[in-house]
Amino acid sequence: MADGVIPVGRVLRASNRGFVVGCRVMQPDIPAFGSFVRAEGRAPETTIYGLIYDVVVQDDLFVRRFIIADPPEEVVRDQRENRQVPIEVSVLTVGYRESDHIFHAIPPQPPVTMDTLYQCSPEEVMAFTQRFDYFRLVLSRPEVPADDLLAASLQVAAVARPAQEREDFLVEAGRELARLLAGDLLRLDGLLKRLRSVDR
Amino acid sequence: MTLELNRLTRAVQEMGQTLAHQQKDFNQWVERARAWLAEFADRGPTLREAAPEVGAAIPTDEPLDAVIPLPPLPERFTVIGADGTQIGPDRHGAALYYLINVGSLVYRHGSGQTPEARSLPDLRYREEDLYEGKLLVQGNLLDVRRDRAEIEHLADRVEAESPGQTPLPNPTLALVDGTLLLWVLENLSAEVKERNVRGYLRQLDRIRRKGAAVAAFTSRPRYTEVGRLLHLARFGEDRTRAEAEPNPLERVPDQAIFSFLPPGARSALFTSPRAINRTYYQAGGQEIRFFYINVAREGEEPVIARVEVPAWVAGDPGETPLLALAHGGVVAQSRIAGGFPYVLARADELAYISGPERERLEEMVETALLAAGLRPALSPKAYYKSLTRQGRRW
Repeated sequence: MADGVIPVGRVLRASNRGFVVGCRVMQPDIPAFGSFVRAEGRAPETTIYGLIYDVVVQDDLFVRRFIIADPPEEVVRDQRENRQVPIEVSVLTVGYRESDHIFHAIPPQPPVTMDTLYQCSPEEVMAFTQRFDYFRLVLSRPEVPADDLLAASLQVAAVARPAQEREDFLVEAGRELARLLAGDLLRLDGLLKRLRSVDR
Repeated sequence: MTLELNRLTRAVQEMGQTLAHQQKDFNQWVERARAWLAEFADRGPTLREAAPEVGAAIPTDEPLDAVIPLPPLPERFTVIGADGTQIGPDRHGAALYYLINVGSLVYRHGSGQTPEARSLPDLRYREEDLYEGKLLVQGNLLDVRRDRAEIEHLADRVEAESPGQTPLPNPTLALVDGTLLLWVLENLSAEVKERNVRGYLRQLDRIRRKGAAVAAFTSRPRYTEVGRLLHLARFGEDRTRAEAEPNPLERVPDQAIFSFLPPGARSALFTSPRAINRTYYQAGGQEIRFFYINVAREGEEPVIARVEVPAWVAGDPGETPLLALAHGGVVAQSRIAGGFPYVLARADELAYISGPERERLEEMVETALLAAGLRPALSPKAYYKSLTRQGRRW
């Protein structure tokens, strides 16, 4: 475990715009939708940042045997708490860091296969979300549930901040969204409603 | 693709037809064997002496055709399963070593608690670990090391259930996959045999001292020892005549004969005729007995397994007799997932070493050698395999 943060898994396949990570984890530790994660870039002192936008629990033949069998409580607990379930986590790239400078843009190179993916610490999340330029990268990607992903990521970013700063942070984020989605008021309305439901 | 499946089409068709034809003969012999089982049911005592001479199951005091129904079990009891896998020494690899990984599950029936899962790897690379005399620990010798690691782990888990001298909180059954008899050692020197079997028996003794039962479970067994006993019985325990006549039951596994057992019931107890059983196990007071058992649920097709137990489990007269615990515990466990004890399925999963994990371990070894100033190198053969088997390694 590097720097005390939780490794999510290892990169299975990657492109500049995103990557998929394979991991075997216990169920309570399944990575959350909208979490900020990071992987090392190929060049020295570069880090690639991403948002988890899909978590797929792979089929498990052993579990299938119990689906219709009404298993005893001990088996249910064993399957849930002890067994490592194979999981694929899809990550959307939203930026990268070179030395101390953070860019909200697609990185020049993708991470390497077998690289370890880490969950970002609250400090890293705060540093990355000082600006909102990554919204554009998320909103422009048709293959991801962009609105839900943005709302979830803003919730993570708000919680990473001290309680008294959360409201201002979310209001700022809402303003940026209003600017970006000025031509699509219906979508903007839906997104802002999601933001209002964020726990402050 | 190097296996040209299209060239096998006809052979596979012929195989299907031949096997269907053989099945008819097979069923007839199964019926006859069952008739003999009933006919010679009470001849056990007279067959005992000759049986081991012809590799036949040795009868106990129970009639040969006994059917013992599923015994009642206490509300709470514990079953602990252990299983192991190994990576053998590879002379083509970067260094000579072997690894044994033992997995185990402690399952407390009736508790509603999460079972305890464990996985314990053990890496051996020193000269004294890699050789027994002049023999490199591989093949059968490594299998025996794995068996010993499994039983030692089981004894540890049983003792952990109640530390010190305190009695076990619940009746406890320790379960291994396969056999309790280290018969693979039979072709090795007496010294190697003795050292390994004694080590194994010491672990069985630890389990015995805690008051737990121990058993080995074989799924779809291919033994024909009871068939040999019936053949011997047909010739009035005349060993010479029985040996002179071909035994038609030699290709009929005992499990087919016992598929008449009702769900949950077990067969009579027999004693294993293996030479190693008499020489070492019997002398150590741990002679191995076995029975067949139908672990299927009510109303389902029979699933016959073989269960081995030491004599002290088979003859235990306690309050929850250990034999009844082994019998009922195996059935309760096998009915969870269907046909195989749940603890053993999970122990196997916990012990399993995947292809990528093997590669990763080899990489770790190479890195450690480099860090220590050594220059590891694969053999030319291993190197070329790594090139040609890309994409079809597992």
